[in-house]
Amino acid sequence: MGIPGNKDLRDGILFSLPFMIIFALFMIFPLVFGLIISFYKWDILSSPSFIGLKNYLDLFKDEKFYSSLWHTLEFVLITTPVLLFLGFVMALMVTGKSPLKGLMETVFFVPYIFSMTVVSTLWAWLMQKDFGFFNQVIKLCGGTGVSWLTSEKNAMWSVSLATFWWTAGFNMVLFTAGIKQISKEIYESAVVDGASYLQQVFHITIPLVSSTTVLCLILQVIASFNVFGQVYVMTGGGPAGSTRVLVQYIYEAGFKYFKMGYSAAMSYILFLIIMIISVLQYVLLGKKKD
Amino acid sequence: MENKDYKTIKRVRWTITRVLELLLVLAWIFPLVWMVITSLKLESEVVTREFTFLPSNPTLANYIKAFTSTYILKWLLNSLYISTFTMVLTIAVDAPIAYALAKIHFKGREVLFWLVMAGMMVPFQVLIVPLYQQFNSYGMINSLAAAALPRVALPIGIFILKQFFEGIPDALEEAAFIDGANRFTIFARIILPLGKAAITTVVILSFINAWNDFLWPLIIINDSVKYTITVGIANFQGTHGTQYSLIMAGAVVASLPQLIFFLIFRRKIIDGIAMTGIKG
Repeated sequence: MGIPGNKDLRDGILFSLPFMIIFALFMIFPLVFGLIISFYKWDILSSPSFIGLKNYLDLFKDEKFYSSLWHTLEFVLITTPVLLFLGFVMALMVTGKSPLKGLMETVFFVPYIFSMTVVSTLWAWLMQKDFGFFNQVIKLCGGTGVSWLTSEKNAMWSVSLATFWWTAGFNMVLFTAGIKQISKEIYESAVVDGASYLQQVFHITIPLVSSTTVLCLILQVIASFNVFGQVYVMTGGGPAGSTRVLVQYIYEAGFKYFKMGYSAAMSYILFLIIMIISVLQYVLLGKKKD
Repeated sequence: MENKDYKTIKRVRWTITRVLELLLVLAWIFPLVWMVITSLKLESEVVTREFTFLPSNPTLANYIKAFTSTYILKWLLNSLYISTFTMVLTIAVDAPIAYALAKIHFKGREVLFWLVMAGMMVPFQVLIVPLYQQFNSYGMINSLAAAALPRVALPIGIFILKQFFEGIPDALEEAAFIDGANRFTIFARIILPLGKAAITTVVILSFINAWNDFLWPLIIINDSVKYTITVGIANFQGTHGTQYSLIMAGAVVASLPQLIFFLIFRRKIIDGIAMTGIKG
């Protein structure tokens, strides 16, 4: 701003300083420090010794790393499409003409404010094999109980189910905001032209919320790649390691087996994967829009 | 005649849709209801194949047990402390830089903005090993401050505040400048009061974020008296294995503060999240 005598540079620095100090201490420094650690063999007992790229090379020979990576990917592939779909459908419901829309918005969103551990313990209880609600009801109806969390085949899906319930409301809020930005007149003229509800959804709503969809997709993929808590609390990574995800392995390598360097190397690989995918999504989807 | 049929069909369809919506709402809220119902049952009624829906002898025994035989109250206070600490510091560091990024035309502003946004991309688990070593060297393992500090700088908060501050007309600042005010007075007297809505949003989001944090407190705190509520509840599963009604009572207690918070600030929380989505 062209005010004589004002000291823009000085003020800019002064106002940014408190954040930058925190940012440097707890983001930039550990980011660099972590990269350095990843080139060291570092456990609790011995002093760290430089081993170059060995941690990274070892990773690619580690069964457990591949299986954790695959489980993470599995979780991303299961949850991303479903959560986008659920969020969008919920948003349609709460932006429609229903007299229940206020109630629906609150109820769909409310699981999101509960902490992950509460949600996970609750769903672990609902899915408990012998006395959980789901199996009790199935048995009442004459069926046999499902091994929700104790069979390798089902466990990841069960964790995903809990995740759908927990976070769909978040996507709903983003989609709702997107839908509300579409001008009413477009719909009005479509109605005049005799467009049905579904036609309106497919030809107006979906194309016009595409930037929200891209945002949701990117946020969702990142969030799903970082999955940890639900799996950790609901299955502990089991049965037989069938739900162990990458973040859990990073945590275990670092704080259970105390292989700090190895853990750091793995976290950088995850970081790299997330970055590549985010950039790819951004470039590909951003281009399509133009 | 035809018109009347059409109206009836429309009315039936309307009713069916509403009934379906209501069923969906009930199903969605059900897990929470089940959490409360379980917590009011005796353990013997929970761990049995004879399924009862409502508790036959509603009891508060599990709540009493949760408060007397676990550290749950302590955990709640720890979480409250950490969340408040995080919230206060977050707004103290986020608001000034957001103002600088929105209103002060200084060299390097763009670079700074992208640096902050890049921070948003870094997954937290990349930081856990180095942060642990860092706090270890400060002798801060098991300290509540260590559990809060890495969560203080909330880049998304800067983003929300910056968007909002940009909407405050320059003319207000210019007038104040002409009257001889400096940046700090302008920030305190004009920007902060006008930005109240966005500030409330960031305060709430940072509080909830800190309250729900799990991985970091799990790592940095080993002493069970110092657990946050999220870590404490997660450990319930391990220490109270099959005492489901006790675990659910703990879960209810752990969720009450958030639920109250949500009921008071419902609109603010939802709008805050929506705000991060618009024009990302």
